Amino acid sequence: MRKFLIVLIIAGFLAPLLSSSAFAAGAPPKDILKGVFTQVDAQQRTVSFTKDGGEVMTLTLPEKMALEEVPLNKKVMIGLDKHAGPGVIKEFDRMFMDMTMSKVIALLLVGLIGGLLSGFIGSGGAFVLTPAMMSLGVPGAVAVATNMCHKFPKALVGTYKRFKYGQVDLKLAAVMGVTATIGVQLGIQMQKYILNTYGNAGSNLYVSVIFVVVLVLVGGYVFFDAYKLAKGDGGEKVSKLALRLQKMELWPMMEFKVAKVRISAWVTVPVGLCTGLLAATIAVGGFIGVPGMIYVVGASAMVASATELGIAFIMGAWGSVQWGISGLIDIRLALLLLSTSLIGVQLGALGTTYVKDYMIKLVMASVMLVVAVSRGAMIPGYLAALNLRAPLDHGMAGFLDSLSFWTLVAALGLSGVIITVAMVIGMMKDRAEKKMATVVSHG
Amino acid sequence: MAITKFDQHAMAATFAEAGEHDSAREMLKNTSAKQQQPQKHAQAKKPYLATVILGALSLTAYYYIFSNETLVTDVFTRGGSYAIWPLGTALFVSFIHGAFGSNLLSVLGLEAKKSH
Repeated sequence: MRKFLIVLIIAGFLAPLLSSSAFAAGAPPKDILKGVFTQVDAQQRTVSFTKDGGEVMTLTLPEKMALEEVPLNKKVMIGLDKHAGPGVIKEFDRMFMDMTMSKVIALLLVGLIGGLLSGFIGSGGAFVLTPAMMSLGVPGAVAVATNMCHKFPKALVGTYKRFKYGQVDLKLAAVMGVTATIGVQLGIQMQKYILNTYGNAGSNLYVSVIFVVVLVLVGGYVFFDAYKLAKGDGGEKVSKLALRLQKMELWPMMEFKVAKVRISAWVTVPVGLCTGLLAATIAVGGFIGVPGMIYVVGASAMVASATELGIAFIMGAWGSVQWGISGLIDIRLALLLLSTSLIGVQLGALGTTYVKDYMIKLVMASVMLVVAVSRGAMIPGYLAALNLRAPLDHGMAGFLDSLSFWTLVAALGLSGVIITVAMVIGMMKDRAEKKMATVVSHG
Repeated sequence: MAITKFDQHAMAATFAEAGEHDSAREMLKNTSAKQQQPQKHAQAKKPYLATVILGALSLTAYYYIFSNETLVTDVFTRGGSYAIWPLGTALFVSFIHGAFGSNLLSVLGLEAKKSH
């Protein structure tokens, strides 16, 4: 217990030293103005802008921007073009999209399946929620903030449910959660360095390559492992690597009772850091956190996926505070997503009690591999932007864009189908067993 | 468990045949008392009332937030200490709506496997 506290305290001190703010999937933008356009002067090409808090400013529209594009009395976020002079607008986005019935239905559906996936494998949903919201017309920063705000209550409810089933290792979640938060800071520093050195396209290429390499390698291994287990008796064995690492007596040793693991902090901390690094890079830390807990720490897939929900709560809550302070959360979207995902997450959580460990691995691996395809489809575009290949023609670029988005949707749909089928089969088996038991007892 | 019960019945029958009626009755009494417990559990009332109350509360919260959409989105995105609003709302909804979801699944007969 004492060692556990020491690690937590050290981590707690390190976190604020590394950066003043923490969040997964990038930083809340600092140089934006939020408020409403109140008046347009067509001759001067200026607009009156009332900032949040009441301050009135006069801003200049860039030449390429049509006057009709300026939405009056709607909340917008503005980026200024510092190179063009003081008060020149570079771009603006309407912060709150208009709700239509089809958008509401899309959000409810994505929320439900995203929740189901989270409850079952501990993470997921984020990889499709943010792009889905953006495709509905939500600005990128608002989509990330809203996803974060929807993630932590969902993870909280999921953690509670799976804790009740005895699957969550709270101590492992706390250690991993805090170290992953530090990992996020490191990831952001790395992202910043790459952005400054290689520009936007370089940064996108880096994110995509990391995404594809990690997802294919780790997803492929998890898939292979799940296949092996499915062919056998379905029971899980601790990996050789984890067994070897558990034998390493390196201070401070930590004992995780639910995971039934005693291992050095020198193993758990790097796994947490990598989870955070990946979370900062591709927004889904669980894709490395869960396999890390299974194959490196030595927890079962059941405990690892449940514990990941606890980690997602810690990271999501910390990130939500940061994004909330930036004032970018669209609570309407978060609440719509929560209305179904809070039910989905509980359904996914109870589903785990009807399946064997390998089914969790199978779902996770399938999702990871399909998501890798989605991200891989973006790579030619980034390579072209860096002049590393011939430019893509308009049709091809559009095709790759929609391929990328719809593959994500397919990944979510596929996981929803696998989980539902596995759960229904498990429940039917359970009922048949109960019936048989009744027959025997009355026989 | 089921086999044990079967064994106990068989034992009771053996004792009864041997003329030990009281012992046989005692054995049967024990098994029937045990048998009633799971039945009671299986017939446990589904939380209809809690589901309706929590559902109504959740619906009311959603109704008020969405009917005051403009005010809510304005106040919730002012940033700084106003962050308490979106975060507090998300937490509040997670408790109310989460509890509703839990009860709804119970009403629908979707419960976790007990023996796991």
